[in-house]
Amino acid sequence: MINQVTSPVIEVHDLTVSYDQSPVLWNVDLSLPSGKLIGILGPNGAGKSTLIKAIMGLVNPTSGYVKIFDHRLEDVRNRISYVPQRESVDWNFPASVLDVVMMGTYGKLGLFKRPGKKEKEIALGCLDQVGMMSFVNRQISELSGGQQQRVFIARALAQEADLYLMDEPFAGVDMATETAIFQLLKDMTAKGKTIVVVHHDIHSAMNYFDWIIMLNLHLVGSGPTELVMTEELLRKTYGGKLNLLTKVTELIRQKDFNPLKN
Amino acid sequence: MEDFLYFFTFQDASIAFVVIGITLLGIGSAYVGTYSFLDKKALLGDAISHAVLPGICLGFILAGEKNPIYIVSGAFASGALATFLISWLRSNTKLSEDAIIASILSIFFGFGIVLLTVIQKSGNPEMAGLNQFIFGNAIAILEEDLYIYGGLALVIIIILTLFQKEFSLLVFNPDFGKAIGYPMESIRLIFNVLMILAVVIGIQAIGVVLMAALLITPGAAARFWTDRLGILLILAGTFSAVSGILGTYVSFILPQMPTGPWVVVCLSLLALISFLFAPKKGVISRFISRNTYLKKTHQDHLMKTLYKAIEEGKKFLTIDEIYQAFPHQSGKSMNSIHRLIRKGLITRNEQVVILTDTGKSEAKRIVRLHRLWELYLNEYMNIAPDHVHDSAEKLEHLLTPELETLLEKRLNFPKLDPHQENIPRDHDDL
Repeated sequence: MINQVTSPVIEVHDLTVSYDQSPVLWNVDLSLPSGKLIGILGPNGAGKSTLIKAIMGLVNPTSGYVKIFDHRLEDVRNRISYVPQRESVDWNFPASVLDVVMMGTYGKLGLFKRPGKKEKEIALGCLDQVGMMSFVNRQISELSGGQQQRVFIARALAQEADLYLMDEPFAGVDMATETAIFQLLKDMTAKGKTIVVVHHDIHSAMNYFDWIIMLNLHLVGSGPTELVMTEELLRKTYGGKLNLLTKVTELIRQKDFNPLKN
Repeated sequence: MEDFLYFFTFQDASIAFVVIGITLLGIGSAYVGTYSFLDKKALLGDAISHAVLPGICLGFILAGEKNPIYIVSGAFASGALATFLISWLRSNTKLSEDAIIASILSIFFGFGIVLLTVIQKSGNPEMAGLNQFIFGNAIAILEEDLYIYGGLALVIIIILTLFQKEFSLLVFNPDFGKAIGYPMESIRLIFNVLMILAVVIGIQAIGVVLMAALLITPGAAARFWTDRLGILLILAGTFSAVSGILGTYVSFILPQMPTGPWVVVCLSLLALISFLFAPKKGVISRFISRNTYLKKTHQDHLMKTLYKAIEEGKKFLTIDEIYQAFPHQSGKSMNSIHRLIRKGLITRNEQVVILTDTGKSEAKRIVRLHRLWELYLNEYMNIAPDHVHDSAEKLEHLLTPELETLLEKRLNFPKLDPHQENIPRDHDDL
């Protein structure tokens, strides 16, 4: 069940990604519609984060390519916003909430230039949208998990992008934050933004997303939620890893070189 | 004293030069070092500083004299080679980073010592002073060398200031930087170059063995005092410059004294002071706030005892009865009674202790929190009534008014706790 769309926002063409030797994504080929809230589902180690990192150019694919807005990534970077996993940064870094949100304006600001009044106003507006106005000057080390996630979302908003790629924005956040973030994402898609979210909870995924991608080392499904959320596809995604594929991965890992590389 | 005045009034232009030089290179290396400390790459600085030694010796051999250009280039080249090897080995072998750094450090340093011995045996009259590179001697630096070191330090400071936003991004979230299209690999390269430069210019003043301390200690010490990057950098620079000047002063009054160890002694002292006395993060202030909390706990318990006596129909307790309630803690209890009297929560008449009106309402609050928490544990966490007391005994001092409101709402303003005791409210009569 893989639905392809015409004039897609993201086109992933035959993408294979390996870490060291082991392939973590096999020949993913999909296209995504614009203005939708899209969820990436799959078990631990299925390659969900890897997929958006590959789209963002943060990991190099072994083969295949990605096109965004029908362009190469380099040409449209400032229309894309990336929200990394919350745990991927050191929250003890000496910075305030405002400092972090301002980073969202760096892309348009460019190298050398220091952020000024205009950037500060953008950042404050974004903090307001995620309900963190009273934390502007708070040290990031003093935030709770949910607040850290809100800060990351505010930073993404400050990028003023058209496409948002978010790695587990609902991981480890309280219920109130989850609802608030979800509502915000819905409002954004209503304004024509496309949002791709790595997600881990099947139950809420049913209600949250318009479109779902199911991954388990390879692409199991991609299409409108009501078509993809079937028992058969869920079993394929979550019913253990594909035994044969895992064995092949293991075989490749033991080689001294990666035979999939061109 | 005479020496002290002579040194610090800068009557001697050459001393003024040395002080300016050491200040600049102190600030420069503290600046770079603070970033690498925040990036958790402190060991890399140590490896680089040991790894520049063979380069210094090769530069000397090639020039045949102590030519600063040859020595700086040699040191830079071998520092860069070591940095490159470390990152190459990390991405191309399965060795762990600490093993790689330790091996590179010792291999380069060992090779450097071999070259140094060769030079010393060669009988070159120029070689005197090459030993200074091991532990450093700031006073012995020539004026024309200082121009080079000071100039490079200035370059480091300027670049780090101009690129503050890029380097912060490099440390805090390089993936994000890459995602917004910043050339993070080049920024990392520039940062590594600055780090090697900082080591190279500090070598003659501080020495290869101790240079890492000048990189890392200032930032680590300053981190105790502040959570702001800007202030952190300024503080680290100040610590470093002050230690540098003091170390130079010692080398000035006792010329056989190497500068490096004294700089490190000063820095360690500053770090120790920060560790002990810094507000909030210092050991002493943490000790004090813990102590204050324990005292408050005891006072709360004492008020609860008075409150429970009222519940049982006794309007007051005698001092002896209070002592009996807290066996083996009569000193502590006496202190608590004095403090509570000063706060106006209790009054004492001869042997008799009574809660005042404000005291009653405060005691009610503590008992209420205790019993609400017991009920919460019992109802929501299914903990048996005889297991809830200990947790409540600790949490009654911590729960905030917001949490109290939340508990009241969740439990729907209950009347009784799991032990069928009354949960007191402010309007209740006593």
